[in-house]
Amino acid sequence: MPHNLIITGVGGQGNVLASQIVGMAAVDREFRVTIGETFGLSQRGGPVMSHIRLSKEKNYGPLIPPNMAHFIIGLEPLETIRILLEYGNEETIFIVNSRPIYPLNVIAGDVEYPDLEKVRSAISESGGTLYWLDATQRAVEMGDPILLNMIMLGALCGLSPFPLEIQDFKNVLKKVFATTKLEINYRALDMGLKLITEYEN
Amino acid sequence: MKASHGIGQCELVNKVIRQGICVKCGACVNLCPYFDYFDGRIVVTDECHADTWRCLQLCPRADYEDTSLNKEGAAHGDGSEIGPFKEIFIARAKDEEIRGRAQYGGFVSSFLIYTLEERLIGAAILTGKGNEISPSGVIAKDREDILKCAGSRYTGAAGLAAFNRAIKEDGEKLAVVGLPCQMEALARMRRMNPDGEERDRRVSLKIGLFCTWALDYRKLQNYLKTAGIDGSILKYDIPPPPAQIFHVQTEQGWQAFPLDDVRPSIQEGCSLCQDMTAEWADISVGTVEGIEGWNTVVVRSERGSQLLSGFIEAGHLEMRELPEENLAHLKEASRNKRKRGNSAKKERRRKSS
Amino acid sequence: MTRMTQRKGGSVVLLQGNEAIARGALEGGAIFCAAYPGNPSSEIIETLAEASKDLPIYVEWSVNEKVALEAATAASFTGCRALVSMKQNGVNVTSDFLTNLTLSGTKGGIILISCDDPSGISSTNEEDSRLFSRLADIPLLEPATPQEALDMTKWALELSEKIKQIVMLRSVSRLSHTRSNVVLGNLPDFKQRPHFDVSSPFHTFPIIEKHIQRHQKLEQAREMFEESPFNPYRGPSKPELLIISSGCAWTYIGEALDLLGLSHRVGLLKLGTTWPLPKRLLKKHLQMCDRILFLEDVDPFLEDNVKSLAADMGKEIGLKEFMGKASGHVPDYGEQSPGVVMGVLGKLFDLDWERKRYRDKVTPWEEGLIPPREFGFCAGCPHRGSYYAIKTALAWDGKEGFVSGDIGCYSMGLFPTGFNQVKSVHAMGSGVGLASGYGKLEQFGFDQPVVTVCGDSTFFHAGIPALINAKFNASDILLLILDNSATAMTGFQPHPGTGNTAMGTPTEPVDVEALCRSLQVHVEVGDPYDMRDTARTLYRLMKMDGPRVLILRRKCALVQKREEGFPYLMEVDQDKCLGESCGCGRYCTRIFRCPGLIWDKEKGKASIDEVICVGCGICAEICPEKAIRMEARI
Repeated sequence: MPHNLIITGVGGQGNVLASQIVGMAAVDREFRVTIGETFGLSQRGGPVMSHIRLSKEKNYGPLIPPNMAHFIIGLEPLETIRILLEYGNEETIFIVNSRPIYPLNVIAGDVEYPDLEKVRSAISESGGTLYWLDATQRAVEMGDPILLNMIMLGALCGLSPFPLEIQDFKNVLKKVFATTKLEINYRALDMGLKLITEYEN
Repeated sequence: MKASHGIGQCELVNKVIRQGICVKCGACVNLCPYFDYFDGRIVVTDECHADTWRCLQLCPRADYEDTSLNKEGAAHGDGSEIGPFKEIFIARAKDEEIRGRAQYGGFVSSFLIYTLEERLIGAAILTGKGNEISPSGVIAKDREDILKCAGSRYTGAAGLAAFNRAIKEDGEKLAVVGLPCQMEALARMRRMNPDGEERDRRVSLKIGLFCTWALDYRKLQNYLKTAGIDGSILKYDIPPPPAQIFHVQTEQGWQAFPLDDVRPSIQEGCSLCQDMTAEWADISVGTVEGIEGWNTVVVRSERGSQLLSGFIEAGHLEMRELPEENLAHLKEASRNKRKRGNSAKKERRRKSS
Repeated sequence: MTRMTQRKGGSVVLLQGNEAIARGALEGGAIFCAAYPGNPSSEIIETLAEASKDLPIYVEWSVNEKVALEAATAASFTGCRALVSMKQNGVNVTSDFLTNLTLSGTKGGIILISCDDPSGISSTNEEDSRLFSRLADIPLLEPATPQEALDMTKWALELSEKIKQIVMLRSVSRLSHTRSNVVLGNLPDFKQRPHFDVSSPFHTFPIIEKHIQRHQKLEQAREMFEESPFNPYRGPSKPELLIISSGCAWTYIGEALDLLGLSHRVGLLKLGTTWPLPKRLLKKHLQMCDRILFLEDVDPFLEDNVKSLAADMGKEIGLKEFMGKASGHVPDYGEQSPGVVMGVLGKLFDLDWERKRYRDKVTPWEEGLIPPREFGFCAGCPHRGSYYAIKTALAWDGKEGFVSGDIGCYSMGLFPTGFNQVKSVHAMGSGVGLASGYGKLEQFGFDQPVVTVCGDSTFFHAGIPALINAKFNASDILLLILDNSATAMTGFQPHPGTGNTAMGTPTEPVDVEALCRSLQVHVEVGDPYDMRDTARTLYRLMKMDGPRVLILRRKCALVQKREEGFPYLMEVDQDKCLGESCGCGRYCTRIFRCPGLIWDKEKGKASIDEVICVGCGICAEICPEKAIRMEARI
């Protein structure tokens, strides 16, 4: 049985890069990795979803079967509940960033963004474990909202069932970021880990 | 249009614009971004979803049986002829430049220049000649602005669109010159909800122009094009009966066209009109049959009267009595228009039921 | 990216399907690579262009797919190896050359990579390009994983060179954009010297003889396919059900069988060499059982071909029950997925596999809670200005005018973001072709004004012949070329107007305005940011006759943001903003709909989203109360 991880969010949040970092770190730890991406008009406001499958035995297909995600990282709340029915299950561990990115039809005033408390309840009452993080807030405090994706990856390392460690990610960052950017991204990973280890419900 | 829009816009579009009876008074333009006036047409640019609507309340063709509006002024003679009035006389401006640029006596231009220069008003809403496209409303702020607008337009030109624009600017008092339909729209404005009273307070003076009908700008342009006139037009004129001519002045000079050929360009909405002498105005102005270069002036309201006395005292005006014959003709013409309008209204209602 | 140009093989890297194809092309010795951008294929040439910095290869973005194939074929005719890549629609564009090329045959190995987009996630249609392999009589390979994509691309170049015929490799977005572990092979030395053998011309005559030769080449390939490692079987020797699958869809089936506990009951045959069918191999497997299920992406290509083969072999293999798209077991539209696979198998074997309890618990939460994400132009996009001007001019004109649309970001003129102005979108340049037709209907009483929009890249691809047609046939077309100096929708690949090539060489840009003027049509240039002025220009142009071109020129907002940035800081005056009330009705957020403008429901006012707003300033003119203020940035 592979480890099934989904990272879901909106175009521009660094979803694809995050999934590549997980993949590269896993390859270095001798995992067979498959990452399936779904992005259509992501630049023009659409959702982005990555399915990441890690196994020591073989490469699995790029899509996780229905209701078989072990971990779901939700970079955005609405995109998280969008996939809840299809991919979640009673054992899924969720790490969700609490800051919404409003769709165009919401900011135009045509439809309403669901009540965030309702979103949070929907996820936590589905049975799994939920870590509801104010990760964008932290990223902004650290100086750049795009650090969100690194914070969430750091948080992922705080989950004991997850087979990779924070050092595995740090080792990979050298291949991805310029030297000037390394330090801040290491700190973002650390921040994410801290948010989980110090999490109070 | 689907019912999902604001009902006001929907009604206006279905009952007025789509029915072809819009008279381009312009009352609905510049209230909001959903209507626009361009090249002689009132157009809808987007769908409005508002729950309260002002456009429908203002439109003189949306509810043409509203008799609850109270006409100002004391009844003078039979109110069904030329409406209530205090005085009636003929006049012309003493200033020769004004007379030269005006259509007839220059009364309106002269009066407005006076009120502007005396700071009784901050601006006047007139209908300008337009450039390469249709004539449209103008916010006139000085003598030259006013004189540029002198002369009859004969086409619907959405002059009130400029009024709505002026209302958005700083709170000075305004004078508005317009056709009977435009005067009616301004009268409706008083009861408009919201902000109708506020707007009404901004209007110091309403000058209405006598009108039998107005032409549709685009139809007129098409006719003139086929008749060989393509360039810009300086002036129009329709000499009094029995001549059935439509005069057009271009850079090449005056040309005459049979009025019957121009009649198909009359706005359809005008056939429903029952008001020839602008009964909702403070002061109504028109020609004098048989006496070239003079205006008939009908004083209707108290405030019109007050402003006028100041003007007369300042000595800008030559005045004379209106001959009995002219008054009788005026009343008859007005009565006939009311009859025509009434039966057209009945015909329309019969057809739609 | 140096792993892409690593000469020595052996290392394991995480590669995307498209990157693997690029690497396979390099390992196969392709020195001439050409393409036109199109999701999901664009990364292939992007990767190869990057690799060209380190390797002696030539990579180009061509003006359209037909020219790309022709240019690459020149390399093949001179004995060198070549690659062309495109999305499904691109194959349609190449088809006239392709179907002639396969008669004349080729020389150096050449491969056509077609990346289909099942479910049309970023396309205007959903199409199965595999059918072209039958139409053109060429071998077809379908990789299922990035590793296979690499291996097959490399092998395809050898196969092509051997049989002197172009080979097609078909990927899908789910494969092209999937990353997984790939083992790299060695790179060759790329020493190929082009030489055209004049004693051996390439033509299609005599046609019958060439046609027969084409069939023979196919038979050569078929023989090689019989023993191919790309067609593995897993499962019992006498399964209750045999599943035949190809491509990425195959990857879901093995896992589904394991999850449902069917691995000992169901056999799974993968075909990687999908056309021509390896007959002996299929016969062997068709004889294993009487119930056969087909699973593939988009059309029943494999299904129909195998059924036809089975009919031919009927006497030997007996009657079979075939299940698939024709029988309704599998949807004949959309992308396959693990959910579809498990659904079909669950039903066939009467297995209760769904997480009903979970789904029942979650479903009530979902109902009504999840609004879709509407697509829209970016903040500052000049297309928003163009469509606003078009909307205004058409309303002024009042004769039920409409827009004939084309392919690009501006295709979104179909939606509220473009004020629903566009009323048709089909293929590259087809908006202009349609307009050339509308422009001749006046003689029959047609009086609705038609405005055509076409992007700069699209214009070069296919718009020019249609414009020439309009000039030639004196058609009354009004063409708006939306020149944002970019092929934006697909990722900013260079085109003839941008002034640089795929490999980064600066070139003299092709001047769209000069080109149009040379046709002796009426040409004007405008600024889509100046919406009122553009509307007036359009209104005036609509009254004229004959072909008219209005070039609306403004850089794509994403490019402008990256380069010089924008001049303004925007703000909504909360006192002046009317919000919902009559006189506004949320005009800026509801109608204009730039993502930089937000509607605050509690305050009942609009405001600027400082993160998203770029500061182009064009929204200021649309507010009826002049509440949107702009201040020059320091």
